[in-house]
Amino acid sequence: MANIKIENLTFTYPGASQPALKSVSLDVKEGELLLVIGRSGCGKSTLLRHLKTALTPHGSSEGSVLVNGTRLSDIPEREQAERIGFVFQHPDDQIVTDKVWHELAFGLESLGMDAAGMRLRVAEMASYFGLENVFYKNVSELSGGQKQLLNLASVMALSPDLIVLDEPTSQLDPIAAFNFLTTVKKLNTELGITVILTEHRLEEALPFADKVAVMENGSITVPDTPRNTARNLYASHSPMFAAMPAAAKLSCELGMDNVALTPGEGRGMLLSMGLAPKLISDKPEKANVKEPVIEASELYFRYEKDEPDILKKLDFDIYAGEIYGLVGGNGAGKSTLLSVLSGARTPYRGKIIIGGQRKKGRFSAFEERIGMLSQDPRTVFSGNTVGEDLKTAAMNRGGEDVEKRIADAARLMDIEDLLDRNPFDLSGGEQQRTAIAIVMLTQPRVLLLDEPTKGMDAAVKAAFGEKLCELRNGGTAILIVTHDTEFCAEFADRVGMMFDGSIVTENATREFFCRNTFYTTAANRIARDVYMNAILTEEVAGLVREDKQRR
Amino acid sequence: MQKDSFYTVNPAVNICFFAAVMLITTFVLHPVIVGVSLAAACAYTLMLKGRKAFVYMLAFVVPVVLAVSVINPLFNHEGVTVLFYLWNGNAMTYEAVIYGCVSACMFAALIMWFFCLNCVMTSDKYVYLFGRIIPTLSLVFSMVLRFVPGIISRIREVSQARRSISPDFGKNPIKGIRHGLSTVSVTVTWALEKAVNVSDSMKSRGYGLGRRTSFSVFSFDKRDCALSAIMLVCFAACVAALASKTISFRFYPSIKQTFAGWAAYGGCAAFAVLCALPVLLNIKENIAWRILKSRI
Repeated sequence: MANIKIENLTFTYPGASQPALKSVSLDVKEGELLLVIGRSGCGKSTLLRHLKTALTPHGSSEGSVLVNGTRLSDIPEREQAERIGFVFQHPDDQIVTDKVWHELAFGLESLGMDAAGMRLRVAEMASYFGLENVFYKNVSELSGGQKQLLNLASVMALSPDLIVLDEPTSQLDPIAAFNFLTTVKKLNTELGITVILTEHRLEEALPFADKVAVMENGSITVPDTPRNTARNLYASHSPMFAAMPAAAKLSCELGMDNVALTPGEGRGMLLSMGLAPKLISDKPEKANVKEPVIEASELYFRYEKDEPDILKKLDFDIYAGEIYGLVGGNGAGKSTLLSVLSGARTPYRGKIIIGGQRKKGRFSAFEERIGMLSQDPRTVFSGNTVGEDLKTAAMNRGGEDVEKRIADAARLMDIEDLLDRNPFDLSGGEQQRTAIAIVMLTQPRVLLLDEPTKGMDAAVKAAFGEKLCELRNGGTAILIVTHDTEFCAEFADRVGMMFDGSIVTENATREFFCRNTFYTTAANRIARDVYMNAILTEEVAGLVREDKQRR
Repeated sequence: MQKDSFYTVNPAVNICFFAAVMLITTFVLHPVIVGVSLAAACAYTLMLKGRKAFVYMLAFVVPVVLAVSVINPLFNHEGVTVLFYLWNGNAMTYEAVIYGCVSACMFAALIMWFFCLNCVMTSDKYVYLFGRIIPTLSLVFSMVLRFVPGIISRIREVSQARRSISPDFGKNPIKGIRHGLSTVSVTVTWALEKAVNVSDSMKSRGYGLGRRTSFSVFSFDKRDCALSAIMLVCFAACVAALASKTISFRFYPSIKQTFAGWAAYGGCAAFAVLCALPVLLNIKENIAWRILKSRI
C-alpha cells in the first residue's frame, strides 16, 4: 500500500547558497518502521516535508518522490490528506480545536464525511488510543503526552497507510515518550502501517526501528539495521555515535561482534564476559568551605486553600559552585518548587533564606539575583537581535563595562556569531544558550533551569553541559530540573529526587544513581551486577578494558 | 453541572427554552407573568448552583431591584394618583412606584435567567449550534476558544519568566508600560509562529479541500422531541392568551389591569409550565432515581 521511493532529491531554499538536501535517495518498503537520525539542522525535517505536497517548502527542487510508483505531485491532495499522516514536534502547536472529540473529528470534517461515518471513526480512535476518559475535556487540560497521543489519534482517524513523525517525543518526558513510541510501534506491527520517524533520543527509539538512515549535511545513507548502523557510525567516528543507546555504544567500544541495543541485552553481554567486580573510587572532594546560596526548610505550598499541598515539608539547599540535578516524575512539584524559589509564589509555611537573609512574602528574583529560565527559552527574548537582548539585560543590572560583560557572556555561551540574528530564528540549542547568556548578564548567584536539554541532540547537549560546568567553576550555583538522567549523571555534582511534594533522597551523583534501581542511567542498569557504582558508558568501557588487560 | 437533567438535553432545546422565556419576560410587563418568571428563575438557579451560590446571587440582585424600584418614581412623575410631593415639588405617584417595582422584578428575573443560560449553554453547545448552520463558523469559534486562553496563559508565562531579567517596575509607570508592551510583543511573535504550525497541521489533515461537515457529540432523542412539543404548545398558548388581550396591564396614566377568563388563566398556566420546565424535568428524573433505588 505505501511504498515510498525517493530518487535523487535535491532541494535548495530560496536565497540559500547550499542545498538543504543533496541528491537524497531513499527506499521505504511497505510496513517498515524507518528511523531517520541526524544532528539538528541536517535536513531531516526538510526531507520529511517532501512527503506531502501541502507541506513541501518553497524552493527549487530536482528529483522525484514516488508513492507506490506514482509521483507524489500527481496524487490528488485529498488522497494525500487521507493516506499520509503527519505528526510534528510541538504537541500544542498542532491542535486546532478546543475539545478532544472535536480534534479527533477535524480531519474527517475537512474531508466532508457524513455524521454516522465520523461517529464510528471517532469512537474507534478514542478507544484504541485510550482517550475515553478525556473525550469531553478541553485540550488544554491534557498533559503533553496525552496531547501528542491525541495528535497521533486524530491523524489515524483518517486511516492513513503512511505516518510521518518529526521528532514527536522531543517535548515529552521519558515515560510519556516511551508510551508514545510503543503506540507507534503497535500501529506499525498490528496494522502494518509504514512509519517514518525522526528522533534525537535513541535510547528507546532505536530498538523499535526496522531500518535506520543517517542524515548528515543534507545527504542520507542507505537504510540499514539498527545494529549495523551503530557499528558503522562507530567505525566512521561519526559524531552521531554519541546519540546511540548506552548498550550499543558499549558493545561497539568493546569491539563485540553482536551489538546490544537495550540495557537488558547489554547486561547479558557483560555477564557473559566473566568480569571481576570492581568499585569506582572517586577522588575525595576538596574540603573547601561551601557557601549556601539558597536554604529552604520545611516549605509547604498549595495553589488554592481547598486543594492538596503541592510542596510538603520540603528541605532544599544549594551551594555556590555546584550543579544540582533535580529529578522526579510529572506532578511531583518540581516546577512549583522553582517558582517558589524564584519568589513568584509564596509558601504558606516554612523558611527561605537567600544569601543569608530570610525572605518573607513575594520577592523580586531580579533584586535577589536569582536567574530563572522556564522550559521555553523564547520567553526571555524581546529584541530584534540577540545582541539587543543581551544589552537590555546587561543594562538592567547596570554597572561598569557593559560591553565587556556582553562579550564575555557571548564567548562563554558560544553565541558570538549569532549576535546579529533574530533570536526567534535560532535552533533550539542556540536559543537555550542565548537565553542563558541573557540571564547570566543579570549576574545571578544561582541559576534555576527547567528542563534545559529538552529537544537537544546529543552533541549539542554535551557542549551545553560543558558550558554549564564552566559557569559552575566561576562560582554560580546551578539547579537543573530534568528528566534526563544521563545528563545529570554526567554533569551534576549532587542529585535529588522529588516525590509527592518533597525531596525524598539526595546524594552525591554517583551514590544517588547506584542506589536507585529504576531511576538511574542506562549504563548503570547494564553494569550494576559487575561494576555496582559505574554510571557512565565511558566508565564501564574503561573498566572492562582494564579487566581485559589484566588477564 | 452534569447533575442537571436540562443540561443534558439537545442544545437546540436549551436555546429555544431560554429564548422563549426571556422573550415573554421582557415584553410582557404584567405582575403575574413577571412574578411567575422570577419564581421559576429562582428555583432553577437554586437547583443548578445550590443554596450558597443562590445567596451570593441575591446579594447582587436585591440591590439592583431596590435601586430600580426607588429610582423610577424619583425621576418619573407620570400617573394620576399622587402619593406625596418631593422636596423639589415633583409628584411621587402610585403608578410610577408600581411600574418601578414590576420592571425591577423583570430585571431580576432576566439576570437570573442569564445566569442559568451561562451555566447550561457551554461553549461547545454554541459551537454545535453554529456548526449546524455554517460549519466553518463553528470551526473559527472553536479555534478562538482554544487560542484566547492560550494567549493569556502565555502572557502570564512570559511575564513570570522575565521577573529574573528585569527589575520590578512597580514604582515607575512609564517603564512599567514599556515592559508590559514588550511582553505583549513577544507573545504576538510567539502566536504568529504558532499560527504557522497550526496551519501546517490543518493543511496536512485536508483543510480547505472541499465542503466541511460538522461532527457533534449531541443527538436529538425522543425526550428532546417531547420537550420541544411541550415548549411549543405552552409558548403558543401563552402568546394566544396575550394576543387575545385577556392578559394586559396598563401603568399610565392610571393603572388598569385585565386578567380574567379561562384564556388568561390558561395562558398564565402555560407560561408557568414553560418556565418551570427545567425544574420539572429535574424533579421527574429525581423521582425516577428514587424509585429505582428503592427497588434495589
